[in-house]
Amino acid sequence: MRKTFLYSALILASALFIAPFYWTFVTAIKSSAELYQFPPVFWPSEWHWENFAAAWSKQPFGTYLTNSLIVVVFSTVGQLLSSSLVAFGFARFRFPGRDALFILLLATMMIPWDVKMIPLYMEFNMLGWINTLKPLIVPAYFADAFFVFLLRQYIMTVPMEIDEAARMDGANSFDIYWRIHLPLMMPALVLVGTFHFMNAWNDYLGPLIFLNDQSKYTLTLGLSMFKGLHEVDVTSIAAITVILCLPPLVLFFLAQRYIMDGAVGSSVKG
Amino acid sequence: MDMAYAGTQTGAARRKRASVRRHIAPYLFISPWILGFLFFTLGPLLFSLTMSFFDWPVVGERTFVGLDNYRSMFTEDPQFWESLWITVKFAAIYVPFNIVMSFFLALMLHHVTFASGFFRTAFYLPSVISGVALVTIWSWIYSREYGLLNFMLSLVGIDGPNWLGDPNLAIVAIIIASLWGLGGTMLILLTGLKAIPKELYEAATISGVPGWAQMLFITLPMLGPMLIFTFITSIISAFQQLTIALLLTKGGPLGSTYFFAMYVYDNAFKYFDMGYAAAGSWVMFVIVLALSLVVMRWSAAWVYYEGEIRQADGERNA
Amino acid sequence: MHKMTKSIAGSFLALALTGATTRAEETLRFATWDTDESLAIQQAIAKKFEEKHPGVKVQVEPYADGYDQKLVAAFGAGNPPDVMYMWNFPQYYTSLMPLDELIARDAAEIKPDDFPQGLMNTTRVEGKTYGMPSGFTTQVVFYNKDMFAKAGVEQPKDGWTWEDLRAKAAKFRDEANKVYGFAVDAKPDPYDFEQFLWSNGTKYISDDGKEIDGYMNSDAAAEVLDMFADMAKSHEAVTLNLGDDTSGGTLFKGGKIAMFQSAMWSKAGIDAAGFNYGVAPLPKFGDHVAHSALGVSAISIAKDATHPDLAWEFVKFFSSPEAVAMRTNDLPVRTSVAEAKGMTKDPVYKPFFDILATSNIEIHAYLKNENWGKIQDNLARAIEATMIDQGNAKAHLDDAVARSKRLLK
Repeated sequence: MRKTFLYSALILASALFIAPFYWTFVTAIKSSAELYQFPPVFWPSEWHWENFAAAWSKQPFGTYLTNSLIVVVFSTVGQLLSSSLVAFGFARFRFPGRDALFILLLATMMIPWDVKMIPLYMEFNMLGWINTLKPLIVPAYFADAFFVFLLRQYIMTVPMEIDEAARMDGANSFDIYWRIHLPLMMPALVLVGTFHFMNAWNDYLGPLIFLNDQSKYTLTLGLSMFKGLHEVDVTSIAAITVILCLPPLVLFFLAQRYIMDGAVGSSVKG
Repeated sequence: MDMAYAGTQTGAARRKRASVRRHIAPYLFISPWILGFLFFTLGPLLFSLTMSFFDWPVVGERTFVGLDNYRSMFTEDPQFWESLWITVKFAAIYVPFNIVMSFFLALMLHHVTFASGFFRTAFYLPSVISGVALVTIWSWIYSREYGLLNFMLSLVGIDGPNWLGDPNLAIVAIIIASLWGLGGTMLILLTGLKAIPKELYEAATISGVPGWAQMLFITLPMLGPMLIFTFITSIISAFQQLTIALLLTKGGPLGSTYFFAMYVYDNAFKYFDMGYAAAGSWVMFVIVLALSLVVMRWSAAWVYYEGEIRQADGERNA
Repeated sequence: MHKMTKSIAGSFLALALTGATTRAEETLRFATWDTDESLAIQQAIAKKFEEKHPGVKVQVEPYADGYDQKLVAAFGAGNPPDVMYMWNFPQYYTSLMPLDELIARDAAEIKPDDFPQGLMNTTRVEGKTYGMPSGFTTQVVFYNKDMFAKAGVEQPKDGWTWEDLRAKAAKFRDEANKVYGFAVDAKPDPYDFEQFLWSNGTKYISDDGKEIDGYMNSDAAAEVLDMFADMAKSHEAVTLNLGDDTSGGTLFKGGKIAMFQSAMWSKAGIDAAGFNYGVAPLPKFGDHVAHSALGVSAISIAKDATHPDLAWEFVKFFSSPEAVAMRTNDLPVRTSVAEAKGMTKDPVYKPFFDILATSNIEIHAYLKNENWGKIQDNLARAIEATMIDQGNAKAHLDDAVARSKRLLK
């Protein structure tokens, strides 16, 4: 009885979350005639699969894809390493200035991007990084406040005795981080990796500001280029959106089992 | 580090070296962030603070005006107060809804076994869609004449309102669209729920503690760190809310969704008044920072950090 | 960045260009807001330029929707593109290169008189010219001939008035199928909207840029606004942008409205929609002469461009007859090209050129006051409020004037 209620609620809620995505998909494969029919067409009479290929070939999306992949892969690696190191530092040590630094770290999350943008642009320009993928990759190696905060909260739920026992066995701080906490944090790391992947994959402002030339563009810039000043290419936007969603979606579907199972596994030690 | 002692392998020296290492270790761990902070944050931050004291057009002459940007913002510009008020209203509704709904969805997901992967993915789905596309989808949904939502309502005999065209409803529409992206928050809370040791509930059940009390005395305190985290990040994202309003309503109708972030954005990229925009973003920065500090202070009283309270740990294990 | 049509300019003396000095492997950066076909046209023009200048590479940088953000960041950091599309001269002119001396020097090649005066006006700030027009559009009314035939409504004629348009529009109203005669925009671009004030004998702001009271909120202005609100109220027209993102172009292409006021940028889409359509001039307000807003895409050089000489060669090529003739997505800025293509006689294009001739007197408001961007937002709100209220224009415009007072100092 309780289960039935639970599943009914979940099915209803998930329908609300999926419906717009279904609509996007349907929009992508509709003929232009059915696009604006009223009442709306929920099940197209013809399925125009070629709309996907057509949208993809309207711009050099192959190049965009390569660029997006380079950014996402390299920045994710950097983010995982740097954020977990920093989070461990904040979670497991008492040191002069720790609280002040941590508040500073939190504060950096609250800086509106608009105003950081021009100084950052000037800096990257001096480094000769404009119109390269570096501004989108390198900062990830210097830890992101959101992820540090998330991982720190996670580490703090792990009992201190585990560290102390390891230290008694002669492990140094790095060992404790590398051999004990990194594996324990795995679920949270997968979460961070997934979040970072989504952010980097969907980032629009960064690529917009730092990249100039179409051979350097990422997928989101390509998507935004279907939105012209006066005309919007709805079918292409929908088609590219569907394609753009697939990699993160698959990744997430695979990762979430791991996040959840891992979390269950780690709780045994409690 | 302490090269002077390198040759003398006395016990004291070794202890001293270990202690130096202990002092330096934390800084080594956090050094990536410190470097990043210096290079990618502090510099730009001070730069923008400087800008806020100038009349700083994008191109052309820059003039030092002292606190004039702030003064004129507080005393002469009705847009400033209007947009701030709209943002506060938005945050006051969005933040609690975001957390409560995420919490209940997470709680439901925590209790299902069958098809849990499917449900988790479904709830997270909107979060993987990029902003440009997201807004396009919502404009299809909300469209008064041709929209999906009003079509659905018409099927059950309701004459749908003009969601984005009515100054009272537009902000509601934006809150709904924003809540649609709660997948990230839900996921963080779900990870937190999964990490609560099952033994706690088992023990409580054996002792006859009722379900509501388990929720109140086990789930909520144990989830505390994650709840605080999502609370603070929700406040931040509420104040920085820009994309949806910018693309979906352009701040309208009649300025009813003209958020503070948009006010800052317009000053920078529409009116090209970088100094004024910098001042605006500093105001936003200070407000959000103050709110977050209040939340942290207030939470310190009741949030349970297992790793930090060693005394309690010791007692429990004994 | 509204106003820009997508266009390019043709090339004048190709011979002179071949004589231009070129250095090995130079990269010229050219920024544009265009996407899609218009972008492809510009890339083709850039290719042509490269062919004529061996060793030069033109890097076309399409910023699309992010044009201003991108340009602001680039100028702010002192790393702007050499050459860029431009319309908002008052905001950027201090970092653009004045072109008057160059134009005078190369006048034989450029033939400045070939450019209609109205177009050149839009690239001038404080008496100096900062850009060469490369494409333009005026505003017209597209109408669906099939719908007119089916409804038995007489097609619009030259010299028609708004009264005529309203009478025709009323005959198409079919609320069950959401079909209307016309569409009015609750959030029109104020830049384009000023054409209706001009056409009714007023303007947003005095010519010295110091007074809006009695202009923006004049009775003539309120009359215009109330008329559009009344069209919405009486359902002669569907209202756009009132909680609805569906564009007028989409409705027109879908056969949901019979008449659609727009510009060149809609034409390609309408052609593709595959029905018979005609182009009528903007209607008149009574006996007044109709004026049109001018959407001009000009091309400018950054003051500290890395390759100023090459940039100027590129600008000249971009506005040369050869390049202007390649632009099929907007209208030729050179009279000679328009005539050579027979466009001034073609019934589809003629209305665009006819109204250009009567639109060279008025200067767009943004060229008159540096705070216009902010004033304009108050005005836009008054227009929107009138459309929501379905009337009461005078009160809303008065409010906009009151809110804008502090910006006039």
